[in-house]
Amino acid sequence: MPSVALFDPCYMAALRPADAECARHVLRSLGDDVTLIDGRCCGQPAFNSGYRNEARTAGREVLKAARPFETVVTLSGSCTSMVRHYLPVLWDGDRRDAAQRIAGRFRDFVSYVANHPNVGNLGLKLEGVVAYHDSCHGRRELGITSDALGLLARIQGLEVRRLAYEEECCGFGGSFAVKLPEISVAMMTTKLDDAVLTGAKVLVSGDFSCLAHLEAGARGLGLKLETWTFPELLLRALE
Amino acid sequence: MSAYRERAAREIRAERPAATVTPIMRKLVADAEAMLGRGPEDARARAAAARMYAVDHLEELHEQMEANLERRRVHYHRAADAAEAVAIMRRILAGSKRIAKSKSMVAEEVGLTHALRADGMDVLETDIGEYVVDLEGRGPSHITAPALHLNRARIREIFERTGASFEDDDPVKLSRYVRDVVGSYFRDCDAAITGTNIAIASSGRLGIVENEGNVSLGVSHPRLHVAITGLEKVVADEDAALAILEVLAPSATAQPLTSFTHFLAGPMPGQERHVVFVDNGRSRVVHDERYREVLKCIRCGACMNACPVYRTAGGLSYGSPYMGPIGAVVSPLLWPDGRYADLPMASSLCGRCTEVCPVGIPLHRMLLDLRADGVADGQLGSRTEKLAWLAWAEAFRGATRARALSAFARVGLRNGSRIVRSHGDGDDPRLFPEPSELHDRTLLQAATAERTAAVLIPAADVAPHELPALFAFRARDLGVTVVESIDPRDGDLSLTATAAIANTGSVLLTGEQAARRPILGAKRVVVRVSASTLVRFPHEVAPFLGGDDALLLTGASRTADIEKQIVRGIHGAEEMVVVLGP
Ligand code: SF4
Repeated sequence: MPSVALFDPCYMAALRPADAECARHVLRSLGDDVTLIDGRCCGQPAFNSGYRNEARTAGREVLKAARPFETVVTLSGSCTSMVRHYLPVLWDGDRRDAAQRIAGRFRDFVSYVANHPNVGNLGLKLEGVVAYHDSCHGRRELGITSDALGLLARIQGLEVRRLAYEEECCGFGGSFAVKLPEISVAMMTTKLDDAVLTGAKVLVSGDFSCLAHLEAGARGLGLKLETWTFPELLLRALE
Repeated sequence: MSAYRERAAREIRAERPAATVTPIMRKLVADAEAMLGRGPEDARARAAAARMYAVDHLEELHEQMEANLERRRVHYHRAADAAEAVAIMRRILAGSKRIAKSKSMVAEEVGLTHALRADGMDVLETDIGEYVVDLEGRGPSHITAPALHLNRARIREIFERTGASFEDDDPVKLSRYVRDVVGSYFRDCDAAITGTNIAIASSGRLGIVENEGNVSLGVSHPRLHVAITGLEKVVADEDAALAILEVLAPSATAQPLTSFTHFLAGPMPGQERHVVFVDNGRSRVVHDERYREVLKCIRCGACMNACPVYRTAGGLSYGSPYMGPIGAVVSPLLWPDGRYADLPMASSLCGRCTEVCPVGIPLHRMLLDLRADGVADGQLGSRTEKLAWLAWAEAFRGATRARALSAFARVGLRNGSRIVRSHGDGDDPRLFPEPSELHDRTLLQAATAERTAAVLIPAADVAPHELPALFAFRARDLGVTVVESIDPRDGDLSLTATAAIANTGSVLLTGEQAARRPILGAKRVVVRVSASTLVRFPHEVAPFLGGDDALLLTGASRTADIEKQIVRGIHGAEEMVVVLGP
């Protein structure tokens, strides 16, 4: 049984605490032995705000916890991208190489599951319609759009709709949403308009950060639209 | 509240730029992608390499450029900063009273128009978009479409304030009105100022692109022509210039090439020509490993066209002559005094700018580095923010403390979301649900019919492969008549092309044939093209460029400065006929 770590990023622990359990269940169904890493942050919020020392302090803890594992499955695309592409650069020389070696083992949940040798045996089945939200980090930094769509296509009975202009950002961007809320909200509204036009009432994405922002917006605007993560969707497709 | 946020919030409240800009840009970005797709597959890589070479050999290329310009009797100047640039321009223009200026970002950067007017010179912005924003007074909101933030009704109003009157706000009438104002100004002006997109070191020629014909007027009518440009705009040779041209117009305006592409050699008899290269921080940036690649920029504007933050808050919110992602990177680099230190925050870091940039500048990564610089040198972030991040990092040093923090966040979230709300002006609708709330699975079955408006995908390209047929197909697409023979008419100007580019429908005129005055004065331009001189792509036309003046014509002159609607026939002949012979 391959041993993998499951990294439950800090903001998900706060905003959707049940997700890690869903993900653990899905990974077990794939035959993996799962160890949870939680209570840590990859450092992205500080990093994106320009506070690199603070980002390094926080990120170091994630790398330390990940050290014993060959694969670290991460529940959020943007954290995966932070760890893989940016975190190691916060050190120099040998330390950077060491950080790089651990960071390279981080995989986002969607592409990990989509490429898992046992994914064909899951027998995924769920009747209904969802729309797919392509996150910027997933699309451009990780290149996992086709993995995500491929995984959705494996779910029997599920119709997947695409948003027009799916390459456009939903306006979350972490600290961006806090520092420039007027712009963030206007971008969110544009994205929600496109989501509503699909007719689907459930929006799925590999990045919970976009989803939290969009769901909060949909609520506030009184739209009938829920956002589901992949672990949540897959768990229901397993039932 | 940062200065940028204040300006952005004000723009959003007062103007809602996205309502106009987003639909225009969605279409433009899709068209631009399709136009690039028509070209050679490695076009972007070649353009990026040509620009990188220039950045790596900046001083060497300038030495060569200077020598070659002097050989052509063109005066070379180099200004260390904005003040010196203005001083040099003042010296060159001393004695000129009426000056026709066409678009130049660097002129904007150094505040040229303002300075010359303060000296009592009469300066007319001759580019239609620039003319509009000059009258409006708030400055350009886009580097290639300065009046993008104004719709036709506003533009009509602005013109009517100066005494003009119109039956309606038809962009054709509004554009032609400016054409006439500019045309008569050119009849008696002493000097013209233009920009330069590409300075070609190996030959000392200036590559300038334009659509309206006002640059053509500027380089050929007044006795004095001054080109002002950035230090980095020099490139090695014609191959490099063509590699850049191959992506510039497609990325900027979704055109194959602009209507006029000048390869400007020495001055005409009796004419004087100067080129002013402005450093203003560039030679400092070239030595900074993290940012030097930004000097590859060809100012196409694709990054702002694609940027959702730019679309939402508009170009004026940046408060800089350079807006959008490139503006957020280049403004704090050119003005390191802190006035633009908050612009790098004007991004959600979605990476779309980096993806569309035709010369491969990693814009969003530079934004991240600039943020870190701003924090490190104290130009960005408050003391309170600094303390908050320190406390945050401390909490995440211990997993137990962080877990407690998560739990706390969970409880406080709904109230927290209210704190987020009170940041704004009450318009923030975001409301976080209880984290433990279960999702409603019946929603999976509640979908309604799809109403998604079809994404604007331009029709499939069905161009023929054979060169003559391809040329005719592309040229006709640009409004050019292509025939095998023609009956001459009064007022025809007959020219012979040195070569033609099939995939862009362009004709190349060199030497005497490239003289701008007759072309601008003709009723109809008839160009003879021999099929044996056809090449497929712009980069293959290098051997035909010769060593003298050259001009590529791609369709008749046009503008899209009012709501991006295309109006053909600005300065110069409205009609162009190509006689395609063997
Ligand atoms: S940064 Fe790239 S996309 Fe933006 S204007 Fe410059 S060349 Fe164009």
